[in-house]
Amino acid sequence: MASRKKLLATLLTGAVTVGLMAGCGNNSNDSTSSNANANAGASDEKIKLRMIESLTSPNRTKLIQTSIDKFEAANPNIEVEFISPPFDQADNKIRTMLGAKEDIDILEVRDLNVAEMVNNGFVEPLNQYADKWADFGSVTAVAKSVGSVGDKIYFIPNGLYERQLFYRADWFKDLGLTPPKTWDELYETAKKLTDPAKNRFGFSFRGGSGSTGTTDAMILAFNGENVNLEDSMFTKDGASIYSTPEGKAAMELYLKLYKDASPPDSINWGFQEQVQAFTSGVTGMLLQDPDVIQSLTEKMQEGTWATAPLQTGPGGKALLAAGGAGWGIAANSEHKEAAWKLIEFLSSPAENTQFSKDFGLIPVHASAAEDEFFKTGPYKTLLDMSNQPDTFVNYKPAFQYPGNAQWGQVAMESTQALLLGQTNLDDTLKKWDQYWVDEKAKLKK
Amino acid sequence: MKNQRMFILSGLLPALLLVLVFTYYPFFKGIVMAFQEYKLFDLRNVHFVGLDNFKAAFKDPKFLMALKNSGYWVFCSLILQFTFGLILALMMKKQFKGRGIYQGFAFYSWALSGFLIGMIWKWMFNSQIGVINDLLLKFGIIHERIGFLSDPKWAMVSNIVANVWYGVAFFAIMLLAALQSVPSELYEAAEMDGAASWRKLMNVTLPYIMPTIIATTLLRAIWIFNDPSIIYGLTNGGPAGSTHILSSLMLDKIIYGGDYGAASAIGIIMMVILLLYTIFFLTVTKAEKVGDF
Repeated sequence: MASRKKLLATLLTGAVTVGLMAGCGNNSNDSTSSNANANAGASDEKIKLRMIESLTSPNRTKLIQTSIDKFEAANPNIEVEFISPPFDQADNKIRTMLGAKEDIDILEVRDLNVAEMVNNGFVEPLNQYADKWADFGSVTAVAKSVGSVGDKIYFIPNGLYERQLFYRADWFKDLGLTPPKTWDELYETAKKLTDPAKNRFGFSFRGGSGSTGTTDAMILAFNGENVNLEDSMFTKDGASIYSTPEGKAAMELYLKLYKDASPPDSINWGFQEQVQAFTSGVTGMLLQDPDVIQSLTEKMQEGTWATAPLQTGPGGKALLAAGGAGWGIAANSEHKEAAWKLIEFLSSPAENTQFSKDFGLIPVHASAAEDEFFKTGPYKTLLDMSNQPDTFVNYKPAFQYPGNAQWGQVAMESTQALLLGQTNLDDTLKKWDQYWVDEKAKLKK
Repeated sequence: MKNQRMFILSGLLPALLLVLVFTYYPFFKGIVMAFQEYKLFDLRNVHFVGLDNFKAAFKDPKFLMALKNSGYWVFCSLILQFTFGLILALMMKKQFKGRGIYQGFAFYSWALSGFLIGMIWKWMFNSQIGVINDLLLKFGIIHERIGFLSDPKWAMVSNIVANVWYGVAFFAIMLLAALQSVPSELYEAAEMDGAASWRKLMNVTLPYIMPTIIATTLLRAIWIFNDPSIIYGLTNGGPAGSTHILSSLMLDKIIYGGDYGAASAIGIIMMVILLLYTIFFLTVTKAEKVGDF
């Protein structure tokens, strides 16, 4: 009896051990069998694609899944497994999966990490596929540039983000104000809107995570024509944009904007607080991307808000960068042809335009601008901006520098110290200048 | 006999494997990474750099600030959590109608995730649209809004308040369980000797539950020291890095810098601190025979 129990227990532990190892290990059998039909996209063999997104939000995941369902219906031999990690951990998870050589075919690459992905050899250049794609011609130059590192394109953006001004149309009307065209006007207007006794402030300031969206935008606009558009942290003379008198003037205005026209608490605000303050009637002006349009429409009454183009610097230029994420193919994918087929489908003018409408993005195809939807309402200013490329100049953000990943954090903390009066402006700018000079030296090595 | 040993070993194998793979492998990998340049941006260029990560840490004012904050954070959170937890436990010791439901509500905070607590308090502490400022203004306690999260004077205090709110329930649960085990004869004897309730608390209750008190406070100190979730959700170390503790700074290095080397170095320093603390803990527990509960 006892020995039987013993035998049973031994068997059981054996089973658990094997199960444990199988669970942790790679299912290598699987990949060898799929290896055999890697190039047989047209055969009857069923292909399974694994796709992972990065900018996860429930609404967006649903929209993408709908498109995938359509694709699967049209391509019965391809099955897509769509993985949606929570937004906060998504990029880390994708990195880890790629680093561990897990089977991933399609991944959402972002403008801010594409250089890192390329550097680590995680993503495949898409030029050979895109060249054969009939609709590639209508993809806008901006969208192509967002997805490229050097002369190779690594992801097809699924929509673009671009900053514009959202303002309280009703407050402006009451005070007889017009939307500001320059940063100086923005400051003056914000000051007029500010009344701390009524808990009203002109500007939805963001001093927490993402603060560089304002500081860098102002410094770039003030440096204006002088900025090297391909290497935007530096001027055409090769000095950093933080070392110029224009850069200093921009930051002086920035400090005034915080002290005179923004909620004091906003020194540590991030995206949510910034938007919430605008929708709940604390602030009168907000600089944001089109993805907030949905929540503004939901939370605010029609007619109380409107949009205007981004502000220009003293030289009459506003520098803006379209940002975005999109679909790329993992370098060690075994189903690259099938993966491209799905990317081509998702990036087609019909799918992409619909997705952009539903989620609040700028479509990547030039043909979508003909759509009535983007010609009216809050999107109109974005279109207006792209129709004046001399005033609203596109630049390439410094995504090629490894240090760019940490720049947001470094700049945020020193900006907060500056706003709190713990450091002075000259020291701060010197520190920023040094940061980018060092980065450039490292890149040259 | 040998057979017997083999049998025991095979029985332990699955558990051993689990511990090895999920506890000790990451642990040793972390130690190795602390001496390496290991940046996510440049995984092809991972190499040993000796003590550079540690030297950089001790030169970094942010790290020194976080070290100081960690002490402040653990000390204040612990004392307040314990005090309020004890008061709550003493109040709930007596039978009253609806005690079960009341207990459920009182212990509720312990069931929430720290990150979520950070998010909730972030909105409450908001100086423009937050409920706390609003109430204080309406009751006339303050006349100007306080930047609980934007003023470095207040930011750490706000974090501690949220942490205390979270941790009180833990002490209340543990201490209540201990209180209920105090034999009623002891109180009867004390009453016969004419002890008032304060004397009963100091001379009967507290000495009796002392082992629980020591064990819970010492353990809780480790948890508070290690847990970055509330700070991460509430201020994320801001403004200007004034509210980082070591564990949140470590997270910061990974999430915003992708610098696993620097983060691991901080992790090792934390481990050394905890090791010293554990030695202290074991000495104390030996003296007081903790663990009898």
